[in-house]
Amino acid sequence: MINEQLPTRKKNRTSSVIKLKPKKHNWSFWFDNLVLISWGCLLLKYAVTGEYKLLIHPNYFWLMAVTSISLLLISGVRTVLFFRSFNYVPDNSQHLTLFPAKFSRTLLLGVAIAGLIISPNVLTSKTALQRGVTENLPLTHSQPESFVTGTKPEDRSIIDWVRTLNAYPEPDAYQGQPAKVTGFVLHLPELPENYFLISRFIVTCCAVDAYPIGIPVQLQGDSSIYPSDIWLEITGTMATVNLPSKNHQNQRKLVLVPTAIKQIPTPKDPYFKSDQ
Amino acid sequence: MSQLHNAFTLFLSLLVEAMPFLLMGVVVSSSLLLLVDERKLITKIPSNPFLGALVGSCVGFLFPVCECGNVPVARRLLLKGVSPGVAIAFLLAAPTINPVVIWSTWVAFGDQPQIVIFRVIFSLAIATIIGCIFSVQKNTKALLQPNLARRFNVLVNGRGSKAENHQESTPLLLQSGTFLLGTSGSPQRMEALLTEPLSPVAALTNSSKFQSFLDNVVLELRELGGMLIIGSAIAAVIQVFVPREIVLSLSHDTISSIIAMMLLAAIVSICSTVDSFFALSFAATFTNGSLLAFLIFGPTIDIKAIGLMASIFKPKIIIYIFMIVAQLTFLSTFIYSYLS
Repeated sequence: MINEQLPTRKKNRTSSVIKLKPKKHNWSFWFDNLVLISWGCLLLKYAVTGEYKLLIHPNYFWLMAVTSISLLLISGVRTVLFFRSFNYVPDNSQHLTLFPAKFSRTLLLGVAIAGLIISPNVLTSKTALQRGVTENLPLTHSQPESFVTGTKPEDRSIIDWVRTLNAYPEPDAYQGQPAKVTGFVLHLPELPENYFLISRFIVTCCAVDAYPIGIPVQLQGDSSIYPSDIWLEITGTMATVNLPSKNHQNQRKLVLVPTAIKQIPTPKDPYFKSDQ
Repeated sequence: MSQLHNAFTLFLSLLVEAMPFLLMGVVVSSSLLLLVDERKLITKIPSNPFLGALVGSCVGFLFPVCECGNVPVARRLLLKGVSPGVAIAFLLAAPTINPVVIWSTWVAFGDQPQIVIFRVIFSLAIATIIGCIFSVQKNTKALLQPNLARRFNVLVNGRGSKAENHQESTPLLLQSGTFLLGTSGSPQRMEALLTEPLSPVAALTNSSKFQSFLDNVVLELRELGGMLIIGSAIAAVIQVFVPREIVLSLSHDTISSIIAMMLLAAIVSICSTVDSFFALSFAATFTNGSLLAFLIFGPTIDIKAIGLMASIFKPKIIIYIFMIVAQLTFLSTFIYSYLS
């Protein structure tokens, strides 16, 4: 059946079919190409601007980059075939579509364009509160065992501190140690008025699974002078106090008593990586 | 407004994470179209429902794709005439029973090998059981989207009959039946159109094979991409507007923590290749049984994948699959919690 038809198709193509090749056909071919190019460009934009760091774990950077290049290549090869090969008629028959092709195309193109125009935002304290701040950070296996002794206290980031506390959960052991951390301000409702949480998000896969961690910061006065979501670099020393936790019981916790607080711009790479 | 922007960011984050896997799946699916002869494939799959479903579950080992990638492959298998039971088993097992996922689970839970082992065993068992259940339903029209079912029926029932052989030798104009006037101007039997591979690949040269491969990649990417967008949008909206703490606060005992983790798995719609790292972040607060529930339930059913599954199955069937998987996951992890 198939073999029977091929010669007919070929013969006809030279005469009537090419002339009659409907405009709509070309139109959908170019629309598909536009979709491919727009998605290729969107992923490329994330790769070049570094905005992918707000969306996915950097481990998946190469996956995204390869996809971007593949999409652009596919559209390029299609275009070349379209112009070079006289016989090339894109197979656009609509088998098994749940949505009309036009709908899918428009949706894909629309999202890609929206992505190109609207930059992703940095997750804020609102999201952190919604997701719940984790105090017990599970240790990942990629993390060196000699961690606790290996890092100088003042070089530890928030994630390092939380990990150290997890590895040896005795707050008093760290009392008086110098610290210098950066993060955003998060006001937890259960903390007293002179406290806020200096926090960061940890990403394991993508922004969807990012979860916040933090260290309480003890101030002399009201903590509301530091609005939520501003980024701070805090130098100080560690101390232990009894703080109320979510279940309203006081718990002995490690807090940071600042000696200097400096506001900094939101970093380009605001999230910690789970295997950092 | 900022909540909307958050939702948009999460939506993009899901898409950027899933798009590579979708492309991978579509490329594998399109290669199957070119490389696999459906007649040989069907004969290789055991006709016994249990063995068939088991083989279907294990086929996933050959395709290292996660749930966004396995839908195009499952659909291709159906189009090649594989029975729906086998395809469902494949669909449910493939995201877990594949080298990449087992490896990543091992990386995350290396110190608790029982989680890795039971994840594989339970997923395999659940997929096989559900595959068996659906192989009882012989009427594919009840399971599949209408045009898929039509094609499937012709593929399985229509091939190799004497009547067809006879017809091939009779000129088209003398045959009875429904005919379509193709683009080339020659009539085509309607049923034959359905059994033809998506493009008549067998008769094509290498370069045109490549063209039809490319066309199929674009076609499936477009269609499943549309589904992925809708699924991700729903997942992102739920993420932003249903606080995760509500889900987590549900966990008081063994039963509720399993249910909470299953709910979470369905909501976050995270790819199976990376979900074990995500589960690790709950290792401190949740029991092993509930983590296992997350790892088994997440890859098979999530909001994002339901959009993709809708391209194969009727909505009612998706709900059935969803409910049976949920019950089996719950049962198996509940028993695990009490025995371990």
